Amino acid sequence: MQAVLLKGNQNGYQLVLNQSASFEDIMIELEALFEKLKSDPISIEASKVSFDVLTEDRILQSEEKKQIEDLTANYPKFSIHKISANVMTVADAYFLKERENVHLISRTIRNGQEIQLKGDILFLGTIHEGGKLITTGNIFSIGNVAGILHAGFPNSEEKLILGDLHNAQQVRVGEQFDVIDDEKLEEDVQTIAYVNDLHVLTYGSLNELKQINPKLYNRIGGH
Amino acid sequence: MGKAIVITSGKGGVGKTTSTANIGTALALMGKKVCLMDLDIGLRNLDVVLGLENRIIYDIVDVADGRAKLPQALVKDKRFEDRLYLLPAAQTTDKSALTEDQVRDIVDELKPDFDYVLIDCPAGIEQGFLNAIAGADAAIIISTPEISAVRDADRVVGILEQHPLEEEPRLIINRIRRHMMQEGDVMDVDELTHHLGIELLGIIFDDDAVIATSNHGEPIVLEDNNPVSTGYRNIARRLEGETVPLMKIENQEPGFWTKMKQWLKRG
Repeated sequence: MQAVLLKGNQNGYQLVLNQSASFEDIMIELEALFEKLKSDPISIEASKVSFDVLTEDRILQSEEKKQIEDLTANYPKFSIHKISANVMTVADAYFLKERENVHLISRTIRNGQEIQLKGDILFLGTIHEGGKLITTGNIFSIGNVAGILHAGFPNSEEKLILGDLHNAQQVRVGEQFDVIDDEKLEEDVQTIAYVNDLHVLTYGSLNELKQINPKLYNRIGGH
Repeated sequence: MGKAIVITSGKGGVGKTTSTANIGTALALMGKKVCLMDLDIGLRNLDVVLGLENRIIYDIVDVADGRAKLPQALVKDKRFEDRLYLLPAAQTTDKSALTEDQVRDIVDELKPDFDYVLIDCPAGIEQGFLNAIAGADAAIIISTPEISAVRDADRVVGILEQHPLEEEPRLIINRIRRHMMQEGDVMDVDELTHHLGIELLGIIFDDDAVIATSNHGEPIVLEDNNPVSTGYRNIARRLEGETVPLMKIENQEPGFWTKMKQWLKRG
């Protein structure tokens, strides 16, 4: 059984570490492979050879990754571009799902209550004065907001808040916050709150979204 | 088996104690057996409002600590034969003198003997509040049309949603000044009920007579022909499951006989 397989494709060279081989065998074979390649005419000609490492259905510990990198460091012409696997940990998967998920919230957030989430929120409920809705992502609100909305918590300023904000107490995006006083905003469910290039919290309208945040605009289906 | 109802508000001074005394008295007038439980330990008032201050021998902390048996601590209101009792709060200690389990035990001991156990909750949302809701099956939230009272009521409803009782909380809007509500200076009944998102149990108008009567140790509900008294009686009837229409906010045009009387007085 071969523990390390060298492959070439249009992106360069790839080292595939067989998932059923032991890590010790991999390290032995890897060293042998590097020794052989060192004297290969192609690598003598090239100024630098970079490898992508694929670990198949195995996740390397940082200790193991370091061993591979240390080994490579012995060969000045070789370098590791990245180490990737076909699988991820359950914890990472949950994190990703949370982050990509759009949470649907339709409850009432009362005075003194605080809801904190990860990812985007589609808000259909009511926030009373003194209630807080906080998330790492964007907030799209069609509910009644008389409390505080915080998108991009704690510090991502590229997030935004969409909805009728004229009754809110405060609007916060990332580290920027704004007190919504009387008559500051119009009663418009298409209001967008975002942080501009000067790091100032600004308000716009939904039809300006393409200019404000092209990335988000594309993601929610605009072209 | 009776029902334990906690009367709470978050904010102080909105009429929890007055409402407890009056709803309890109104239920007793309807022939129900009622125990009023004062949990405002250290700042007890319910006994004063009921005019039972001088009769207190033991209090709830004595019962919880085993210095007295529960029936020994109950103060009987002689106006209602054996239908209205008070379990007084202690005055020499504070809210931390009781635990939630102790209160629950006392309420559970009272429930088989009474139709209603009304629990007068202290202001605030600290231990005293937690003690008060511990043994309750239902809650009545008191708010005035003032915005600060509404905020605190909102907070309390939020806490009750997180520690749900057997029944959903219901709302009493107290101290309504007709002319202010008519002129739109304060939130009106519908707005308030809608904002808090809980069922309305009743409304009580503001009236000087409330203070005057409670100063004599007589709940206002004992008066006839007083709008506050009618308000509390209506609430008691609704608790008993009757359907009673809400009282009108508008000042009613003086009727024929009232006009006659005024005319006679002038003459």
